[in-house]
Amino acid sequence: MAIQGFLVVSLLFSCLAATSYGEVTFSSLQESLIVTASPKLRQVLKAGEDNIIVSWSFNKSLAAGTDSSYKTVKLKLCYAPVSQQDRAWRKTEDHLNKDKTCQHNIVTKPYSSSNNTFTWTVERDVPTATYFIRAYVYNSADHEVAYGQTTDAHKTTNLFDVQAISGRHVSLDIASICFSAFAVVSLFGFFFLEKRKAKVSQAK
Amino acid sequence: MRLGNMEEFWTFGTPFLKYERSLARHFKLLILNIKPLNSDYFQWQLLICGHFIFRIAAVSGAVFARVAMGTACDLFGPRLASAALTLITAPAVYCTAIANSAASFLLVRFFTGFSLATFVSTQFWMSSLFSSKVVGTANGIAGGWGNLGGGATQLIMPLVFGLIHNIGATKFTAWRIAFFIPALFQTLSAYAIFFLGQDLPDGNYSQLHKSGDKHKDSFSQIFYHAITNYRGWILALTYGYCFGVELTIDNIIAQYFYDRFNVNLHTAGIIAASFGLANLFSRPGGGILSDIMAKRFGMRGRLWALWIVQTLGGIFCILLGKVGSLGVSVAVMIIFSIFVQAACGLTFGIVPFVSRRSLGIISGMTGGGGNVGAVLTQVIFFRGSRYSTETGITLMGVMIICCTLVIMLIYFPQWGGMFFGPSSEGTTEEDYYMSEWNSAEKERGIHMASMKFSENSRSERGKRVGSAPSPTDGTPSTYV
Repeated sequence: MAIQGFLVVSLLFSCLAATSYGEVTFSSLQESLIVTASPKLRQVLKAGEDNIIVSWSFNKSLAAGTDSSYKTVKLKLCYAPVSQQDRAWRKTEDHLNKDKTCQHNIVTKPYSSSNNTFTWTVERDVPTATYFIRAYVYNSADHEVAYGQTTDAHKTTNLFDVQAISGRHVSLDIASICFSAFAVVSLFGFFFLEKRKAKVSQAK
Repeated sequence: MRLGNMEEFWTFGTPFLKYERSLARHFKLLILNIKPLNSDYFQWQLLICGHFIFRIAAVSGAVFARVAMGTACDLFGPRLASAALTLITAPAVYCTAIANSAASFLLVRFFTGFSLATFVSTQFWMSSLFSSKVVGTANGIAGGWGNLGGGATQLIMPLVFGLIHNIGATKFTAWRIAFFIPALFQTLSAYAIFFLGQDLPDGNYSQLHKSGDKHKDSFSQIFYHAITNYRGWILALTYGYCFGVELTIDNIIAQYFYDRFNVNLHTAGIIAASFGLANLFSRPGGGILSDIMAKRFGMRGRLWALWIVQTLGGIFCILLGKVGSLGVSVAVMIIFSIFVQAACGLTFGIVPFVSRRSLGIISGMTGGGGNVGAVLTQVIFFRGSRYSTETGITLMGVMIICCTLVIMLIYFPQWGGMFFGPSSEGTTEEDYYMSEWNSAEKERGIHMASMKFSENSRSERGKRVGSAPSPTDGTPSTYV
């Protein structure tokens, strides 16, 4: 009898665990943080050089105690819709494990309801695109429970741009040109050698 | 003197030559497979490449390059022609590392694409070195392993890129450095071709020209005899529906599996790569089949084999568009790839016999036909949203079957065609190949290479050699 009871309870418990462990969707998250960032509208930042100062805090107009389960905050750089067009690898999906909107991490910090700020130098591997910043809040089980972002629900306001590095270096340029010149010179060398071989065989 | 039976084929050292030729082509194909480099910077550039006008320009450039390459082979010999082309296009690959705008990227890709014309010189070279009995096998192996390079690079380049990225370069620099690898190999293979290759078993064109054994031919004559030979045009059309289809599938298949069956991008890439990797054995298999059929049935056997294999390829293409489950789809795709690539190998078992004097240009026309077929197919069936991809694939299969029917029109008076035997007038190989030379040229004696070839090509009569008519120039045998 006790064993049966135990089995039923553990079955119920595992079902519950399964549902809570299930995929978290973006639409289930509450927007409870206010996030602001230093770039002005459509300002162009250079990757590897310019800074972004991000500040975030709990939205005080919401009921107190809403943030009791909040443990950590992760800030990410996210693509604006204009930079997602025709690019399936940046697509927005409701299921957060499949969502590819936010691919660049800025910082992860323990949660505190106010006075949070961070200065981030835009990293060198950020591509040229239009962005906004979003903060995901995680509970102690490391699941997303809330978020906040610098833009509105349609992702049209407060967007800024990043200009990527070109990846070119002077050394690469020089190497390319030298090797190319070498190839062309070799070609002329081949023709010259060929003519000489032919003359030699004619002389024989 | 030609490399004839299978023992000579394998021991002469030309397998090395073939491998080096296919290496050369492998690295050209590297440039086409930049999809694996997932850098955002790169992907944006790729989107621009889909522009219609660029495609038209690329195709016309490709066709022109192949015909020009064929001409260069006829005039200067394949060794010099391909070493020259490889070296001339190497700067384009080096300069990919410094491209920084859509325009510069397009230019670089356009010029690198010219290097693919070495396909023509490879087939010409194999056709010159190997005798009729093994020419299909030689062409098939060289062509197949070259195309294999295209599939292999989908796997190799991402690894190279990953390696460089891990060493410490940012992604945007790593892909630039990665392009030095194919560029260096391209330069090295040009050197290998020049110093280790040989145009003909007798020697190189330039030496033979000077010693008088080979005469420098005239471009206008070669060109005229190439374009007036209807068989060249027919083969160009059918090649468009085996190699052209192969190129089309290379472009769309990863996306097809990704969209229709929801596999992840990495898996879709592997499936796509396996399509190209089948070239390891399928195209050589086509060439070997061509030679086996020729041994028994002569040229008629080659023609029938080509028609049957390519039509079967079309049938499996129709099937591919119709199947709805992932496992069956992959299986059908692999069978389809084997037939389509074997058809490419079979085509180049026939091309060496269409013309001797204009072998280069005929090879170039056929190769160019492949590219035109690819673009035509993509434009008709896979552009925009008129047809879903699976409908496009099925319709492409129907088009393959229809366009392959023209093989029935090919007729060699000395050997016959699919439905008719050799001409009752007793036309011989000499008659056919000598018709490309006028009497003034024959008096100068510059037609001797074609004479030698026509003797060699008697094997295309199949097992009936004993009952064939004797050459009109020779004396008939008398009873003793």
